Amino acid sequence: MISQNGKERRPLTLQRDKLWYKDAVIYQLHVRTFCDSNADGIGDFAGLTQRLDYLQDLGITAIWLLPFYPSPLRDDGYDIADYTSVHASYGSLEDFKTFLTAAHNRGMRIIIEMVLNHTSDQHPWFKEARSSRENPRRDWYVWSETDTRYQGVPIVFVDTETSNWAWDPISKSYYWHRFFSHQPDLNFDNPAVFEAVWDVMKFWLNIGVDGFRLDAVAYLVEREGTLCESLPETHAIIRELRRRLDLAYPGTMLLAEANQWPADVRAYFGDGDEFHAAFHFPLMPRMFMAVKLEDRKPIIEILEQTPEIPDSCQWFIFLRNHDELTLEMVTDVERDYMYDEYAMDTAMRINRGIRRRLAPMMNNDRRRIELLNGLLMSMPGTPIVYYGDEIGMGDNIYLGDRNGVRTPMQWNSALNAGFSLADPERLYAPVISNAVYGYQAVNADSQNRSEHSLLRWMKSLLQVRNAFQVFSRGTIQFLNPSNHRVLAYTRQFGEETVLVVNNLSSSAQAVELDVQRYKGYIPIEMFGRNLFPRLGNLPYLLTLGPYQFYWFQLRRI
Amino acid sequence: MAEDVFLADDLLRQLMSVGEVDLLVGLSSCNAANTVSHALDAIEESFQRNFARQRAVVVNVGGDKDEDAVVAQGYGSLAKKGVRLPGITSLRTSHRVTANFSGPPSPGIALRTILAAADLLRARACAVVSPDASILTPDSIASLLRPVYREKFDFVAPLYTRNKYQGLLARNLLYPMSRALFGSGIRELFSDDWGFSGRLAALCLNQDVWHQDAIRARPEAWMAISAISSDFRCCQTFLGEKSKAIKSSGTDIVEILRQTVGTLFWCLETQQSSWLDCEKSQTVPTFGPDHEFTSEPTDLDRHRIFEMFRSGVTELEPILSSILDPETHSEIKSIVLLEEANFRFKSDIWVRTLYDFAASYHHAVINRDHLIQTLAPLYRGMTYSFLVEHADSSPSEMEAASEMLCMEFKLQKPYLVERWKAKVEVKS
Repeated sequence: MISQNGKERRPLTLQRDKLWYKDAVIYQLHVRTFCDSNADGIGDFAGLTQRLDYLQDLGITAIWLLPFYPSPLRDDGYDIADYTSVHASYGSLEDFKTFLTAAHNRGMRIIIEMVLNHTSDQHPWFKEARSSRENPRRDWYVWSETDTRYQGVPIVFVDTETSNWAWDPISKSYYWHRFFSHQPDLNFDNPAVFEAVWDVMKFWLNIGVDGFRLDAVAYLVEREGTLCESLPETHAIIRELRRRLDLAYPGTMLLAEANQWPADVRAYFGDGDEFHAAFHFPLMPRMFMAVKLEDRKPIIEILEQTPEIPDSCQWFIFLRNHDELTLEMVTDVERDYMYDEYAMDTAMRINRGIRRRLAPMMNNDRRRIELLNGLLMSMPGTPIVYYGDEIGMGDNIYLGDRNGVRTPMQWNSALNAGFSLADPERLYAPVISNAVYGYQAVNADSQNRSEHSLLRWMKSLLQVRNAFQVFSRGTIQFLNPSNHRVLAYTRQFGEETVLVVNNLSSSAQAVELDVQRYKGYIPIEMFGRNLFPRLGNLPYLLTLGPYQFYWFQLRRI
Repeated sequence: MAEDVFLADDLLRQLMSVGEVDLLVGLSSCNAANTVSHALDAIEESFQRNFARQRAVVVNVGGDKDEDAVVAQGYGSLAKKGVRLPGITSLRTSHRVTANFSGPPSPGIALRTILAAADLLRARACAVVSPDASILTPDSIASLLRPVYREKFDFVAPLYTRNKYQGLLARNLLYPMSRALFGSGIRELFSDDWGFSGRLAALCLNQDVWHQDAIRARPEAWMAISAISSDFRCCQTFLGEKSKAIKSSGTDIVEILRQTVGTLFWCLETQQSSWLDCEKSQTVPTFGPDHEFTSEPTDLDRHRIFEMFRSGVTELEPILSSILDPETHSEIKSIVLLEEANFRFKSDIWVRTLYDFAASYHHAVINRDHLIQTLAPLYRGMTYSFLVEHADSSPSEMEAASEMLCMEFKLQKPYLVERWKAKVEVKS
């Protein structure tokens, strides 16, 4: 990697920086989707390990793995039946350890999913708990003789569930579940439960994982007369987890999954003593909106509403992920607009979101895909790249649920896109095979060989991003030029200053930037390292092509 | 020789920043600095409530920088204050551009500036509104824009709730005459608020008329007639109550006639090809009620109006003789002699009088400005007659009378055409 001064920078893992998650570029994947080493049609850890060089070459510094635990897979693995093992389809625990070591050797951290709020009803804990009212694990879950406790608490999956209580015919009582009825909630009022989940976390920390994404953290504790969300008792549990983590495993991190407004998520950072990081959900749809509207307003508006967070904390930002592009954190007007512009076909919509990948949403317009990635990599926060988006993979909206964005990774133009040697019929999901996004047209190998491919471009983008900590740790200041189609901001961290100028529109734009405070600085275009005219008293005039963006390093020489 | 560039560089720079828009609302903040803030908030709210997805801009034609500063504080204040209207989200940046002039610009210059902005920004739907009109509400602004943006109309004229004695000039002259001649009836040819399409803006902008006196003062009727003449789609939309003071009876009647009738006559002159042989008669679609009256008492001094009619006609008799056809003149002279209680200005004489004036304007038998001034006492006579005749009329009776007058104008159109085409020896 190249540093600002042209010196080689050491891989992040070797620095043992406790704030590594702030500088990371994260790659999100499900092991099932990435590479199948044993020709059973399902991706596995051995296959993933084989592909780590690809991720290292791309510039990835951390991998976020979706659930890989033994599970009935009735909720895509978020219904865990065994916290301390690996689903047989994906390999063994040994395979995981091998993968982890290989990733660390390549300077990549590993973040895994941890579902604390609930288990599968197939988990031994629940089987014991329901077996009799006298069972020692009975109190590990939330039971009731009636289904009238906690009235008024919203139901999350309104399409499938009619109540947060489910009747257990075995022990003849009701159990509490905020999600599917096959996912009973753990009872965190029982100290034994807390100790049990801490044991689970220790198990993985001792193996060497670097962090956890804690699923559904808002719902850990229930109290009568409340919405049973984000209660003080829940925060107390998180603080205790964090305290133990810092004490025993310094340098590991907790990532919160809380699809809420930034002001509400803020509480999960505490005083820097709860989560290290949390997703910034509302920013994501607004980046899409800004590009379609050709107007910077949505982005600036949401970032201005984003509260300050403790120095040690970080927002995690993303364009797409394994779920639908969630439109929970937008207004009705904004949601309708997003649907009309990005999901005209109702088959593209699911729940309150859009089940499409990045490239199809951009109509495969390379310039817009680049612009959005440029925004992602230059905004404050740690960026997450969803697997396959770095090559512009397409989706299959006819696969049901969110499976259309979870198709096999497209490695090459060989059988099954190079994902598996199994018969195509045996694959966990069909590969994308249409003329535009099919694996013959879109795959990693061919893009690696093409100088101007999206993949090669992404590599150069990440190379620049990784070379400057200002992107990951710097403050942001918007310039607000009169041309609203141009989003311009400076990022500053220590002596590092960069100027980012984005043309959000489909046409060429001229913009005058008020950069008087940087008078005397020389802008250096960060991809080509070309010098631009020195900044002075006058507004700095730039012209940008459609969807073009500039990253300038500002140097005072 | 080509005219110097019209748009100031400063305005051009602002327009560059705005880029292409869907909606444009123009207003002049001259002499209205105290009300313009309200107007700008109403426009912004209208955009948010009704056109959340559309790219929109306000073009404010101001007199000087001080007013601009007042305006700048006003517009966008909702957003700046963090005010979110209930259930409303503005998706886009609110834009306002300001055109500053060294002195108060004429309405013609203001409109030309707005049209130029609309053309350069490729606006699809535009409106001009008056910042000092209390009628200005988010809904009224949307009512002007919506027919253009959604229904593809090119010109949207307003309709107002009127006191029955308001708008007499429009009711007795401008509306029926323009309807009869151009075949398309727009009730409010002269108004402070109207809407138009980008393509009509482009058509009007490119006309070589902007140095004309008629355009400088009241360009809106010319724009409406241009739309009708060019077969653009026109409609009317109901905006509610027009609250401005009645202007039709005061001492400024000559100036009002100069601005309105003078402009109408000028339009007849410049667009004669579109009405001389025009036989069309089409109904203008209307959004909302097509008329609405209130009946508050009026303080018009009928006796004074009648006396001004009588004295005016007597004093101007020599000039009238050069304007009016002898037969018409004779009729006028005979009704002047009537007692006030028995006085009526019959519609056929009124129509013929106006057609004589229009023809004489065309032939420039006398100075055109003097000609318009000479119409003032006759208009007063018509006004007096109307006030007496309709003192107790219901709205439907008044509307029926209005229709009859329109028919009279239509019936006598051949008379005007004949006089218009006749060769006339101009008296010096």
